[in-house]
Amino acid sequence: MAEYWGVKVEDIFNSMQERFRPEGAKDVDSLFGYDIKDEGKWKLTVKDNKMTIEKTDDLTGCIATMKADGETFVGVNTGNVDATNAFMGGRVIVDGDMGAFGKTGKLFRKFVIAQKEMTTKDYLADMFATIVPRFKANEAEEGLDVSFAYDLGGPDGGKWTVFIKDKKCTITTTIEGKPTVTLEFNDARDYVDFILGKIDAQSLMASGKAGAKGDLNMMATKWPILFEKYKDPMAGNVPQQELIVLKKIISLNEKFSTGPVMGKFLKGLKEQKIYANKCPQCGRMQLPPREVCADCRVRVDEFLEVGPKGEVRYMDIIYYAMPDPLTGQVRETPYGGINILFDGCKGNETLPHFIRKDQIEKIQMGWNEKKGTRVRPVWEENRIGDIWDIKYFEIDE
Amino acid sequence: MGKRIAICAVAQIKNDAEYWHLRFQNMLLECFESIMDQTKVTFDMEKGIRTIITCSNDMFDARTISNNGVTDVVGAQFRGEEKMDQESINGLGYAMASILSGHDDVILFMGHCKESQGESRRMISNLSFDPFYTRPLGMDYHNVDAMQARAYMEKSKVTDEHLAKIVVRSRQNAQKNPYARENKLVSEQEVLNSPMYSDPLRELHMYPITDWAYGMLLCCEERVKEFTKKPVWITGYGSCMDRYFLGDKDLTSNFSLKNASKRAYEKAGIKDPKKDIQVFELSDHAAYQLPMWAEGVGIADEGQGGKWIDDGGMDKFNVNLSGGHLNGNPLLLGGAARAMECYYQLSGQAGDRQVKGAKRAVAQAATGGAGQHQAVIVMEA
Repeated sequence: MAEYWGVKVEDIFNSMQERFRPEGAKDVDSLFGYDIKDEGKWKLTVKDNKMTIEKTDDLTGCIATMKADGETFVGVNTGNVDATNAFMGGRVIVDGDMGAFGKTGKLFRKFVIAQKEMTTKDYLADMFATIVPRFKANEAEEGLDVSFAYDLGGPDGGKWTVFIKDKKCTITTTIEGKPTVTLEFNDARDYVDFILGKIDAQSLMASGKAGAKGDLNMMATKWPILFEKYKDPMAGNVPQQELIVLKKIISLNEKFSTGPVMGKFLKGLKEQKIYANKCPQCGRMQLPPREVCADCRVRVDEFLEVGPKGEVRYMDIIYYAMPDPLTGQVRETPYGGINILFDGCKGNETLPHFIRKDQIEKIQMGWNEKKGTRVRPVWEENRIGDIWDIKYFEIDE
Repeated sequence: MGKRIAICAVAQIKNDAEYWHLRFQNMLLECFESIMDQTKVTFDMEKGIRTIITCSNDMFDARTISNNGVTDVVGAQFRGEEKMDQESINGLGYAMASILSGHDDVILFMGHCKESQGESRRMISNLSFDPFYTRPLGMDYHNVDAMQARAYMEKSKVTDEHLAKIVVRSRQNAQKNPYARENKLVSEQEVLNSPMYSDPLRELHMYPITDWAYGMLLCCEERVKEFTKKPVWITGYGSCMDRYFLGDKDLTSNFSLKNASKRAYEKAGIKDPKKDIQVFELSDHAAYQLPMWAEGVGIADEGQGGKWIDDGGMDKFNVNLSGGHLNGNPLLLGGAARAMECYYQLSGQAGDRQVKGAKRAVAQAATGGAGQHQAVIVMEA
């Protein structure tokens, strides 16, 4: 019997019992026929959430019969042939009740090709054999003339050169001429792992297991454009176990005491005042204030009112917003985050907040040698002692 | 025998039902300043503190990498900082490893937990169970402990009356401990009438929600005189992790505690804990655990917990004169509280509860449901 993608027509039928899903057969009570050209006929009986399959020439009583050739049948079942295309193109024909036959789709789990080991040699053969078919000629610019050579060591190793010239790709099993770049791997196994994404190029190079001669940059930038990514033929063949993922929300109600230091800062906001505290030792200002100066390891008791005007010190524009951590609501983007250097503070003694939305493009960041845009807070009318007592900052004009 | 390290000083704030007016940073800062004041230790890179060990828990703090919230108030900025996110007693084992390896002479060990912050400690302990099976069943430390309590009480003939006696005694002892949580004294009858949480455990059988913070300074033997005249030595440490899945283990066997004690006793050269040790601080998150752990550390005979209580074992062996965990410590920090009580006893600073001539003490602590992980520390004057 013929094999397609390593699978026989019989394999599909013989595995039906194992792949049967009783939950998909709840309202099915019918006989279905399969007539596979040059292979034979099979009859599927589904009744009372159970099924039987038999090879028989007698398809009488079947509510619908599928007709196809062996390659199409195996292809559709293994995902190598698109079922809809095959049907529309007449490669699959259903005689009888189409609607009823449609139900067979739910009866079985997907057919999985039995796992076969691929050796390093198999992989190398497959990887280099697919290079020319993976070449995307229309991506090659006029006049591009490069060659990429591979010198792979170890028992399975070998040499290859890939030429790209006149929008054509050719490959030889030698290293010829002066390649644009030559990749050298001490062991071909590492090359296979690299292509399969199991190990990255940096670590291979860093550990001395691989190296490159010539214009590696040319290869690094061109290769991903010129070639389709290598597809691991084994990747799709892992038996499909139904892996359940649970979605849960973890929610713990909390009350956060603010204490005398953060508490004073928040109370200040309520009164439209911004308090920093000043280290008695090094003199730096902390915003928001903290219990100690961590640099000096001393308690910081002196509070000073700063601002409320200041200049923009650092800024960013956020396009991909995280949800508001307290409400779960997603903010409208873009919005601008700024660090404000308040009047009365210096250096990096800044406090982060937001800038008025319509002014994102107008503000300028400052740094050690340049002043940033002057800004002032816009206060919320009903203030409760939290960060949103300041709605945002706006340009102080 | 193992090598030893010294506890040079300890500091704590009073255990309290709720420090509503303080952040845990404020709580820690008081302990930090007290340690600095007592020992005059510095953060000099050659001679001072290079490594700080903190104990806290992300779930109780509702903050990922909870130690980052406190590095400034424990002096840890620009120094090494390591976090113990398990029973605090293991932080002492960690400090011991750092010092005895020779990499650090001095370790500052700080811990905090504000149990009043979260709405439900049961929801927090529920999160220590796997999300697929035991968590949806609603397992938490209360009902899992109750399962163990029922099995243990049956085996060791411990009754509801015994548990009432333990609770009454705990609160009486706590009266003599200035750092103990202030609870009202209760009668045995009140305990027996208190609401049933998870049968056989009643409300008063469980330690109450508590906020607390502490600090300790630990040091190698060679340099101890720089920081204190009255060191207390840690001479043995042992810990043991039991099977995680409740269904896998014999809840009454004390397997992990017996193992942890054995290791600690061997290192400290203890042959008979009944004779060689004068003070015991046991981790009674729930009343039934006191006789159970007493069996585990070898001062009550196997299966005789009930009789041991009747025979006055709790007082005879000076168990939990501080009031114990049952009177109120944060779950995470009970081990540090136990060790600090041993420190006070061995350095003669235990005031009205002082055991005369105490030379050796044992601090024990459990983490997890039904005492899954156990650690034991032997301390000497």
